[in-house]
Amino acid sequence: MNWGTWLDYTVNGLVIGNIYALLAVGLALIFGVANLINFAHGSIYTVGAYVGWVCITHLHLPLLLTVPLVLLASAVLGVAIERLALRPLHNASRIAPLLATIGISLVLDQVTQLVFTPNPRALPSPLPDWRFQIGGGSIGTLDVLILAVGLGTAGVLYAFLRFTKLGWAVRATAQDMDAAKQMGVDTNRVNMSVFAIASALGGLSGMLVGMYYNNIDPGMSFDATLKGVVAQIIGGMGNVPGAIAGSLLLGLIESYGIALFGTSYRNLFAFVLLILILIVRPNGLFSSAKETPPEPMTGSFVARGKPLAIPRPVLVAVAVLAVFVPFVDSDYVVQTATNALLYGLLALSLTLVAGTVGMVSLGHAGLLAIGAYASSLMAIELGLPVTLSIALAGVVTAVIGTLLVFPAFRMRGHYVSIATLAIGQIVALVILNWNSLTRGPIGISGIPPLSFAGIPLYDAPQAYWFVLVVVVALALLQARVLSSHLGRTWRALRDDDVAARAHGIATDRYKAMAFAFGGFGAGVGGAVTAHLYSYINHETFNAQISVLALTIAILGGLGNITGALLGSVLLVGLPEVFRGLAEYRMLIYGVVLLLLIRVRPQGLLGTA
Amino acid sequence: MLRVQGVSRRFGGLLAVNGIDLELRAGELVSIIGPNGAGKTTLFNLISGHDRPDGGRVTLEGRDVTGFSPERLAGLGLARTFQHGRVFANLSVMDNVLIGGHTHLKAARPALPGIGALAELLLALVRPRSVRAEEAALRAEVTGILGLFGDRLVPRIDHPAHSLSYANRRRVEIARALALRPRLLLLDEPTAGMNETETMEIQQIVGELKAQGHTILLIEHKLGMVMRLSDRVLVMDGGRAIAEGPPERVRHDPAVIEAYLGNSATGGETPAEMAAVA
Amino acid sequence: MRDPSTLLPTRRALLAGVAALAVRPAWAADPVILGVSGPLTGPAAQYGAQWKKGFDLALDEVNGSGGGIKGRPLALQFEDSQNDPRQSVAIAQKFVGDAKIVAELGDFSSPASMAASPIYQRGKLVQFGFTNSHPDFTKGGDYMWSNSLSQSEQSPQLVTYAVRDLGLKRPAILHLNTDWGRTSKDLAVATAKALGAEVVATEGYMPEERDFRSTLVRVRDAKPDGLILISYYSDGALITRQTRVAGLTQPVVAIGSVYSPKFIELGGDAVEGVYTQSNFFPEEPRAEVQDFVKRFRARYNEEPDAFNAYAYDTILLLAAVMRQYGTSRLEIHDGLAKIKGVPSVIFGRVAFDVATRRVAGANTANMQVKGGKFIAWDGKPAIPRS
Repeated sequence: MNWGTWLDYTVNGLVIGNIYALLAVGLALIFGVANLINFAHGSIYTVGAYVGWVCITHLHLPLLLTVPLVLLASAVLGVAIERLALRPLHNASRIAPLLATIGISLVLDQVTQLVFTPNPRALPSPLPDWRFQIGGGSIGTLDVLILAVGLGTAGVLYAFLRFTKLGWAVRATAQDMDAAKQMGVDTNRVNMSVFAIASALGGLSGMLVGMYYNNIDPGMSFDATLKGVVAQIIGGMGNVPGAIAGSLLLGLIESYGIALFGTSYRNLFAFVLLILILIVRPNGLFSSAKETPPEPMTGSFVARGKPLAIPRPVLVAVAVLAVFVPFVDSDYVVQTATNALLYGLLALSLTLVAGTVGMVSLGHAGLLAIGAYASSLMAIELGLPVTLSIALAGVVTAVIGTLLVFPAFRMRGHYVSIATLAIGQIVALVILNWNSLTRGPIGISGIPPLSFAGIPLYDAPQAYWFVLVVVVALALLQARVLSSHLGRTWRALRDDDVAARAHGIATDRYKAMAFAFGGFGAGVGGAVTAHLYSYINHETFNAQISVLALTIAILGGLGNITGALLGSVLLVGLPEVFRGLAEYRMLIYGVVLLLLIRVRPQGLLGTA
Repeated sequence: MLRVQGVSRRFGGLLAVNGIDLELRAGELVSIIGPNGAGKTTLFNLISGHDRPDGGRVTLEGRDVTGFSPERLAGLGLARTFQHGRVFANLSVMDNVLIGGHTHLKAARPALPGIGALAELLLALVRPRSVRAEEAALRAEVTGILGLFGDRLVPRIDHPAHSLSYANRRRVEIARALALRPRLLLLDEPTAGMNETETMEIQQIVGELKAQGHTILLIEHKLGMVMRLSDRVLVMDGGRAIAEGPPERVRHDPAVIEAYLGNSATGGETPAEMAAVA
Repeated sequence: MRDPSTLLPTRRALLAGVAALAVRPAWAADPVILGVSGPLTGPAAQYGAQWKKGFDLALDEVNGSGGGIKGRPLALQFEDSQNDPRQSVAIAQKFVGDAKIVAELGDFSSPASMAASPIYQRGKLVQFGFTNSHPDFTKGGDYMWSNSLSQSEQSPQLVTYAVRDLGLKRPAILHLNTDWGRTSKDLAVATAKALGAEVVATEGYMPEERDFRSTLVRVRDAKPDGLILISYYSDGALITRQTRVAGLTQPVVAIGSVYSPKFIELGGDAVEGVYTQSNFFPEEPRAEVQDFVKRFRARYNEEPDAFNAYAYDTILLLAAVMRQYGTSRLEIHDGLAKIKGVPSVIFGRVAFDVATRRVAGANTANMQVKGGKFIAWDGKPAIPRS
């Protein structure tokens, strides 16, 4: 490749990085002050894009009027989110607001979809499209405008934080909220201002990016959040100038990844680099290495309090009742119950690593995928009996999962979440690109059905009982482990790893044990799923499943085994209960989820 | 028992610990005093493995342990408490102290190299009689340790640690360190934030521990307690040792008086110390 | 801002999911119900929305001028799967267990459809996967049927258009990295080789990608004389726009899935001149096409696209099967094997190959975007023959 081509890749990388920067700055601002990854940021971005669309294509407003309207609408939305959904959770654990932003994102996306239909829309730019030739390609007016907005906001934010009274309060709050409060800073007002500013910026970026691609749709929020979060982590969480630098770097990494390996390796290359960056510079590239991580110890991530004690006879009674579910004589109910149990397996695994050990994993679907592919391939290629291949898949997942997450063992808090998110994506992308083993996107079909002792389990009740036995067995094993010295050792590690190490607890060893145990359960869950479906591909276990699994684990109460199972039944069951509401069902589901968080921020059954 | 030779630690431009020498013989109680920011806690962190020295050597019972990880040092019998108190907030008092006994649980370190972690997991699941007996013995031992603190902790044995008073949390920390059956005990300001009565209780307990033959390194601001308990005192200021010797001699050392008058002994810790703990 | 179909849900909510029941008041008999498993919410919801337009138009026709199915109205029970296999599997159990459902349509993607196939197969309920082109879909059992365009047909036709008719000798292929895109790409490469052209680059991209500038630099450096897109309309429009920004001026030939007014709306001026294929076009004189296009325009005030047409065709086909062979599950299964000559927008006349349970012989017209509209290709090659 010649020099001119590299110039093109560089320019393209900066152009896309420029777009990520708009998202990352808002996320960084909120993280810096509220110590929160705002999963609703992409949804505000989408709303901003649609507000812009209404102004331009329906009200035919000029851009000079559209921009302030978009800023205002998004800021109002941000304030409403902070005031109505997040502030009431202020004294709860740190995990409750995180879950709330997931719920808000769900609700906002559904509302956008209902109001504007799910169809993509064109959002034409009213600007004249002057183009400047650079190398082989060109950049246009919008590229320049986006760059100007990115740098301009960074400059304005810098001046605001440095030179205004409110800015001073924001910085004080970012450094230590309790101390700021004692110094008389109105932290509520600070939080609200920060949400207003960050959301206004998010909405504006949605509109600009929509114009850039002449394409907006209600489904664009998840990917926007993902890229923005990754970009700001590269730069250093909560670091506004770092977020811009990180975004440009992410754009360059992706562009060079395409240049070197081809388009299908774009994200794989980017996520692998993200992991490497986190290993070498755990606080991001542009934060000083000596600096104490800005986030709290993992210990304060979980809520304090005692779990609700459920009497053993009640648990036994529920388990006995569960055996009789198939007698309702509706395979639909039985299948839904099976789905709930399968999510239960995943949630049991996640509640162990996230709740008991404190490593909040956002890539747990990757473990399902490993288990599913391992069992399918062993059953098809090696002709192993299904029961054996499922058990072996659990072992394979335990080993691979532990090795994959190993680099994240030394990370804390949010960095663990991001590293595991990246690892989950890497698993999916390796499956996509490893054609000779996984058949890439074509997937694996003809996976043999579940069977026991050579007898295939075709009927819904048979499959249900099979899964029920697996779930109950793993739940009992997990309860037994937790009641041993390992339970307290893991929880000690979660509450305070420094003190735990001072008492002889080797962090890596115990985190590895938890991931091995949890990986086994998740792998078995993935394997059973594969044999139930008969067909899987790289999309079967996607990032949304990881988010749902985390939602279940938090809602049930982190670390709480019964809570994980209850959460699964609720969150798999509710959308089915609301099925009659058709397009409205996910909206109602989101609202119910938000209400549940509001009522029980520590989880339905409490943190164990 | 413990020998510290020329240990230094630099944070940016600041020499937080500057060429400290210290020797501790078995059964001795040595106190480290000095104004805030003198580098006492940083020195503790360097000894206990929570931080690595930039220079110098630490030997424990004749073995060079410089740069060892804290968990490895705990395995060698080094126990410590923390300046601001680090209890496991969601664990009960009992579980907190049981963690202290982790290093001598045979169930936690099966003698199978390579697959030790797997064996530990299996033992936790199967829990044969020997494992149960070991756990029961540890619980009995812990109950005994908690008894040291009179009726301060025993009635709250099942309470989560976050529900305890500050003083009780400090007691839990000491109990937890004792459960390690320490050969060397490092206590970082065990009476910080305690009132007169509570301080006296702790002083009495530390005195009993010394009488039982424990080797103790103590950081303490309350000079009365230091003078009464210590065999020797090390005085630090600005990262250096400015005096060392029996309490009586140190008390009248002009350099020490100067350091204490020149610095306010109140106020928070320096950033360097905070960073070293976190 | 809202099109009429989005006003329906509240009412349908009250009717517990049974759509289109309220169209006619005076049916004496119970409706014949087809189950639909597809995305109404979630990332693929736009395709579910396109289906619904085609379905509703076809239902009007079946229940209006067509007089229903043997005196009974035809109705749909559309269950939202979010294109998620877990939910499509539960829906499959629901449909199989509900005696009123006589056949099932969908789901949208292969993972969602094929996960549910074993349940339909054992429940002996026809799963009619009308967008499932995955080569293994109908291998799931004799109850899996599809009138989806077969890639082994569609992909060679596209490449033949590009290479033989338009004169491309060194095409580059950009494809969605999904089961559909990958299979189509492999077939396209083989066809190009057979026709004597050299594929100089292939690039697979993810459905959620929006930025293609660097991909296009890679493509540019392979020095193609044209681009072949195996894309849907949204990503196809994004790529074409960025092609022009990246300084590529070669002709673009896009697969028939981009045939949608949305492609032109989203692509703007940049898609001017893009070549594509369609299984129908509004000016076509065939009666079934004219009927479909006119009524679609009248009802929705927009041009129909490929997804609308697949959905529409499917309802008419199943209505014909039921009228001719009966409405029981078994009769529909057997009828599909026997039916011949059903008029179709896509195929002209439908008949299944009983061995593969697929339809062959789609009408294919060569098209081009000119003046912001899809029009029939003028017959001029894109690259003048030397």
